[in-house]
Amino acid sequence: MFRFQSLDDDCTLEEEDDGLIEEEEEIDQFNDDTFGAGAIEDDDWQEEHKRLAELDERDGLGGVVPGSGPGLGALGGAGDAPLLGPPASALPSLNFTSSSGFPRPDAEERGGGGDLAESLARFILDADPAIAGVGAAERPNPALSGLQGLDRSRVLPQSSPIPNQLHPQMPPAPPRPAFLLVLPSMLSFQQQQQQHLLRRTSPMGQMNSHNIWENSMGFGPVSLTPGLSTHMEDSPLMSIIKEERREQRPVERVPPPRSSSPVIGSPPVRAVPIGTPPKQPMSHSLNHQIHHPTAVHVRAPMPHRYPPPPFPERLSPNTLLNIANSPLCRGPFPPGVLSQIQRAQMLNSQVAGFPRGGPPPMMPGGGFRPFFGGPPPPHGHRMGPPHGPPNHAPPIRHNTTHLHPQHRRMLTQRMQSRGGLRPGLDRRSRDPYSNLMTQKEKEWVTKIQMMQLQSTDPYLDDYYYQNYYEKMEKRQRRSETAAAAVKRNTPQNSSLLKWQKWSTPTGQFAGSLGKLTVSSVNNPRKMIDAVVTTRSDDEEKREKQVWNKRRQILYTVEKMYSLLLEVQDFEKRFVLTPEEEREALLEQHKTNTVQLCNSLREKEWDDKKGKRLISRLLPLLPAAQAPAVLMAIARNLPALAKKDKQDQVLCWLVEPVSSVVQSMSSSALTDLLQELQSNEGQLASVLHNKFGVTLLYLILSEGERMQSSDPNCQLMDDNRWTELVFSVTRELLSVPSASLSPPLFTPPNLLSLFSRYVDRQRLELLQDKLQITALSR
Amino acid sequence: MNYVPGTASLIDDIDKKHLVLLRDGRTLIGYLRSIDQFANLVFHQTVERIHVGKKFGDIPRGIFIVRGENVVLLGEIDVDKPSDTVLQQVPIEEILEEQRLQQQAKHETEKVKMQVLKDRGLSIPKADNLDEY
Repeated sequence: MFRFQSLDDDCTLEEEDDGLIEEEEEIDQFNDDTFGAGAIEDDDWQEEHKRLAELDERDGLGGVVPGSGPGLGALGGAGDAPLLGPPASALPSLNFTSSSGFPRPDAEERGGGGDLAESLARFILDADPAIAGVGAAERPNPALSGLQGLDRSRVLPQSSPIPNQLHPQMPPAPPRPAFLLVLPSMLSFQQQQQQHLLRRTSPMGQMNSHNIWENSMGFGPVSLTPGLSTHMEDSPLMSIIKEERREQRPVERVPPPRSSSPVIGSPPVRAVPIGTPPKQPMSHSLNHQIHHPTAVHVRAPMPHRYPPPPFPERLSPNTLLNIANSPLCRGPFPPGVLSQIQRAQMLNSQVAGFPRGGPPPMMPGGGFRPFFGGPPPPHGHRMGPPHGPPNHAPPIRHNTTHLHPQHRRMLTQRMQSRGGLRPGLDRRSRDPYSNLMTQKEKEWVTKIQMMQLQSTDPYLDDYYYQNYYEKMEKRQRRSETAAAAVKRNTPQNSSLLKWQKWSTPTGQFAGSLGKLTVSSVNNPRKMIDAVVTTRSDDEEKREKQVWNKRRQILYTVEKMYSLLLEVQDFEKRFVLTPEEEREALLEQHKTNTVQLCNSLREKEWDDKKGKRLISRLLPLLPAAQAPAVLMAIARNLPALAKKDKQDQVLCWLVEPVSSVVQSMSSSALTDLLQELQSNEGQLASVLHNKFGVTLLYLILSEGERMQSSDPNCQLMDDNRWTELVFSVTRELLSVPSASLSPPLFTPPNLLSLFSRYVDRQRLELLQDKLQITALSR
Repeated sequence: MNYVPGTASLIDDIDKKHLVLLRDGRTLIGYLRSIDQFANLVFHQTVERIHVGKKFGDIPRGIFIVRGENVVLLGEIDVDKPSDTVLQQVPIEEILEEQRLQQQAKHETEKVKMQVLKDRGLSIPKADNLDEY
């Protein structure tokens, strides 16, 4: 249906990656929300921790990073050594995978990984009951299920674990802003790795079993084949980046071989700890990004664009990368914070289908979100555990209900590698095939759907929705301040307003499949596309008349043709039949011809067919009739000539006409000539027409012939002929040469004719004009 | 993001992974790329998943265009959610074999049933699943 993005985008991605320094920033939290940036270097790690501590103090946070559920789970899973063969074996592998400045893990940390995990878990859980609830409920957490997936993967044929070829030159991670978990000290670097590893195991199994889209878009956490070969070459970030790159590859490619060694250290995390509410005022552009979705609800008739304006419709992964990088190039902390939160918000709003609360001013009247019962408290989701969970359950993302919202957000963010963009759109933009359906097309479909919703009587069509909407409004009216009085719209109208500004479709949309369905129960769709065209009565009558006339003429012509054919066949038949019957045949022939003549009297010979008919007929007519026909022709010549412009059929008549002319008597000839000039300006139009000119010449030449051959011919008896010739010459001279159409042929004796009547001067002029040469004499 | 609350639209489902059940009983899983006013669907990276008992097998199919009237139900798949199912994935040949066996078994039972009914003088015409009219 819609266009396709070229696959080349994907290929260039790899090249682009190399050039970018801040890769690891996007690569983002493969490792959970959890414990910290996994700073590559200790120093950064500690600095981050310090910074975070300050931040948390400011916020009054308990220094809790609740979004560590999966991490916890992973930890817990790690503790269950028997459950995991490979990950456990990975544990020792972690030990020497550290490189580039990691502190060697302490033995006790390693060995006491389980203990540490438990203590950590206890610490966090205690600090945050919400998390506790979540964590408890969430025993089948991603990591665990990952483990199960892992188990399953054992059953399935697995591709042999191949060492992860880490990219040799990975730049070290810059100090991660904001979201460094508050408990970096709690976890060693290995555990982070471990969790990362564990978390990644689940999709790997599926990938191994050739599930083409399980990891196709890189949405699932990229997995490592667990418990495999252990060496990792370079900085841990390399592996992260490498994973990331693999995620971005298009589906069609086989997933590259992965090393067994897990990622050392969590990727640098830029996000603010989960519980931190945003302190900084949102940057304006990012504001847009969040708040545009809020325009969805009925009340805020903000021009809603999906995706929001800063985000172009279809980005190649390249441009995405560039976009993602640019905001990240700025100062580490604030944009990171904002983007994370905003991303989370965007994600939630995208997924759950309702706009998450921006600051209340953005939503007039507290924002009416009709998708769920009761508007959620504005900042509820953001406040999270540190402030004590609000009474309501965290706003629903339908399928991750059991997760704490922060956790949920972290989960999804973990999936994405692209920082700086909204997560929902993130994922879709990284998808090289995303946005195949352009915004225009989406609006088009929505427009069609909206139009089907238009109703003249909303209370009749959708009673319950109207009531529901009214109740919502009432509730809002109660809660909103006087200052925030908002123009009320009916639910349909407000959202339809912007749709109505689109012109009502005239018929169909360009490129639409099928007709616009504006059918309902009462008027189901039509089977036949009968379009009613209205015409006035007069028009109809006139048209009918014209048609009738034509039909009549055609009919007559047809009849005449058949008669004509009979007559023409007469000869043959005459010969064939025996003597007695010849009489009868002759009689028949006579009647036929009479009939023909009579019908020839008809004036309307506009048709091509009619003219052809005449041409065939003329030779057959008895001598008496033929001139009459000719007269008729001459009389009507202007009209005939006008209509003949297209057909040029009159020229067919030349031959029979000429023969008739030659057989005509002088008086008849004169009469004919007179006919040609009978009307005012007729001669001029005759001269315009080729046939007319030819006819004229024929007549003249015939007259000349008569005169020359027989000096006693009656042509000169009355002056008519002379006068007529004079007038003809006058006309010939006066008519401009351009409008004089060349005749079909020029009889040779014209010159002698003219010389008889006109003087020398005029003769020469005539000569030039008519191109009669002396030679033709 | 729905343009009008109180309505349902597939616009929000675009570019997300979905599972669709067709009228002929097939189950397709793929990324929904495009829709139109008839709810015709364009799926990308589609996989046909055959379920037999507790096993399932995937057949990669590529791009599917489904006519809207053939859809029974359609639901989004959450890629984030861990798939902790009891179903076991098997290779394609195996699942096709299983399916064939299942069909065969069903056919056998059907035949036996018809025979039994016939013996008792009853005849129940076999319903053709594909046409409702």
